[in-house]
Amino acid sequence: MGIMKKIVCVVLVLTLCLMVVGAIAETTITYMASNDWVMDAEMALGEKFYQETGIKVDYQIVPSDQYTNLLMTKLNAGECADIFGSQGGQFDIVSQLNVEKNAVDLSGEAWASTVDPLAATELSVGGKLYGQPTQDISAVWAVAYNKKIFSKLNLSVPTNYAEFKSVCQAIKDSGVTPIYECVSDGWHHVLWFPEMGVAMENTEPGLAEKLNKNETTFADSAAAATLLSQIKEMVDLGFWGDNYMANAYADGAKNIASGEYAMMVANQGFPTEVNAAYPDFPVDDIGFFVIPLLDNQILNVNPVCPSRFVYSGSANVDAAKQYLAFLAKPENLQYMIDNVPKYNTLPFTGVKDKYSDEIKAFYAAYPTHGTVYQTVVKYLNPQWMEIGKEITALLQGDETVDQALKNIDRNRADQAAAAKDPNWK
Amino acid sequence: MNERKIYPTYFAGGALLLYIVFYVIPGIMGICYSFTDWSVYSSEINFVGFDNFIKAFSSDYNYTKYLTNTLEFTIITTVLKNLLGLVLALILTKRVRLLNFHRAVMYIPSVLSALIVGMIFRSILNPKVGLLNVGLRAIGLDSLALPWLTDSKIAFNSVMAVDIWKGMGYIMTIFIAGIMSVSPVYFEAADIDGANAWQRFRYILLPMLSPTIAVTTVLNVIYGLKVFDMVYSLTNGGPGFATEVLYTGVYKEFGLGRYAMGTTLSSIMFIFMLLIGYFMIKLLTRNEEALA
Repeated sequence: MGIMKKIVCVVLVLTLCLMVVGAIAETTITYMASNDWVMDAEMALGEKFYQETGIKVDYQIVPSDQYTNLLMTKLNAGECADIFGSQGGQFDIVSQLNVEKNAVDLSGEAWASTVDPLAATELSVGGKLYGQPTQDISAVWAVAYNKKIFSKLNLSVPTNYAEFKSVCQAIKDSGVTPIYECVSDGWHHVLWFPEMGVAMENTEPGLAEKLNKNETTFADSAAAATLLSQIKEMVDLGFWGDNYMANAYADGAKNIASGEYAMMVANQGFPTEVNAAYPDFPVDDIGFFVIPLLDNQILNVNPVCPSRFVYSGSANVDAAKQYLAFLAKPENLQYMIDNVPKYNTLPFTGVKDKYSDEIKAFYAAYPTHGTVYQTVVKYLNPQWMEIGKEITALLQGDETVDQALKNIDRNRADQAAAAKDPNWK
Repeated sequence: MNERKIYPTYFAGGALLLYIVFYVIPGIMGICYSFTDWSVYSSEINFVGFDNFIKAFSSDYNYTKYLTNTLEFTIITTVLKNLLGLVLALILTKRVRLLNFHRAVMYIPSVLSALIVGMIFRSILNPKVGLLNVGLRAIGLDSLALPWLTDSKIAFNSVMAVDIWKGMGYIMTIFIAGIMSVSPVYFEAADIDGANAWQRFRYILLPMLSPTIAVTTVLNVIYGLKVFDMVYSLTNGGPGFATEVLYTGVYKEFGLGRYAMGTTLSSIMFIFMLLIGYFMIKLLTRNEEALA
């Protein structure tokens, strides 16, 4: 064989060997999450993580209306991505995720002590931390409104449901759709119900405790029935427009910026999000007021948010932990806050928030706080998407308010019975 | 039949063993689990008798709606796919220009993934910005621009329409093969006897196509009873519960960790498939038995 041929053969063999070694040396960790849970800023950090460690992060983003089913199916089948996203919640991470079996204990990680105590409580079982929060828990789901539209129509912030209806009617009469709601994602329109748990609790004090002790049901609660009726009334009066069934959450910023819609249930990063997508729309043109159903004036706080968990059956636990540690570095947390418009802060110590004066004024306007029902009432959050279907059926006229509430109660009872809850015997 | 040339029974042993291990045993295990309270919430599995089956047919739950939706889907798509497939096959076995091109165009949707078709049609059927409604509004047919997938009264019809569009090409190819296997001698004889087109179709072609119709009907019925991906990708069972079918229900139950209920719904579907399949094949092949 000629010398050239020998050289070519040697080069080919060496290249092949290098490729094999490279493939062996390069680790890839998979991270499965719902749509809207992994931000572009995180993926940019993921690229930086790869440059520093050689560990590649494969983001597997699943449409939000399918995510819960897919995650539960994978966990129940004994296979999952190396890192999976899920809502926290001290009840739900036990009953739904079986987190002590399916997730790795992260208490020993250096960043564990920097997690906000309220957030850490919702991600811990028996004093062990299992998750890493990913979003701003200081943000509450409130009604974001276009101040220019309100100003043009001489409208003030409503303080009860009757005023809210008047405001919506005035906006509708002006040719603008009052509320941007998006049922197609399956989760957003549910917010009107459990977020207003603070109002249900205010109307019927002790309701949450009675629900947890199985001493009452949602179907027996007049407040719950009124709340669902008010949600249906908003739709029947045309306040959600004609396209609410097909609207997508991802198009919220676009539709508020265009002026086609006046209000949307959103959290306090929303104005920055709108401004980032549409620089001509000033951040301060969006204000907030609490959802005024059931005449609510209480700030609806939720210390639970989508979080990252390391799958206990992962073959790359160390690499996954490295990724979480990388994201929890103060400079990287700050990068997320500075580059994700909807984050005003993150639940870790050592970060600088970016609350605007408008947002600070909003929080100050509602000194009374309450915790939302999906956190304080057992067996409610796990059926979030099912509640979405019940509300959809109600809005479509396929169910009555009473049927929807009875179905929510039935789902709670089924979960409680399966978990052998002593209060359901 | 030359009995000396029949393969011995043990030649089928290997395949039979694999089939029993990977299909029969898991199936029987699944049916057994439907009599328990197996779930993700507890490591104990207790026998509960027929509780799950009672729940499945109870008015307190939506499972009967899943079942009726599945049966409605099966019947309507089977009839329409057979009908439209036959019509297309009749047209595309005549002298038509670009015959192979037309056959290919009709057949191509059936080789596309149902998930991809679902996602594409979800966009096309968007009531505000979807291609269909935008096109209808552009030609002044605003009244026909309906909320195809978002109105609970018409969403299921839309799902069936997309599935029929996707599947009729495959049925058409089976019918084309069936039509071309019929000897032209029969049609020539009928012509001589003065039979018109309808009479030739009704008294010659249709009876000779009955084994083909049996095949397509069985295929469509089995597909319809097992439908999942088309519904999942188009509507995920919504709006509300309007388009839920049995297998989206099974998927949901497994996703929620309610394994016993999931296996119960699967077992119910298995029984339905057995019964429907048995009587259907009996009905459609009764003439073959008579001839034999």
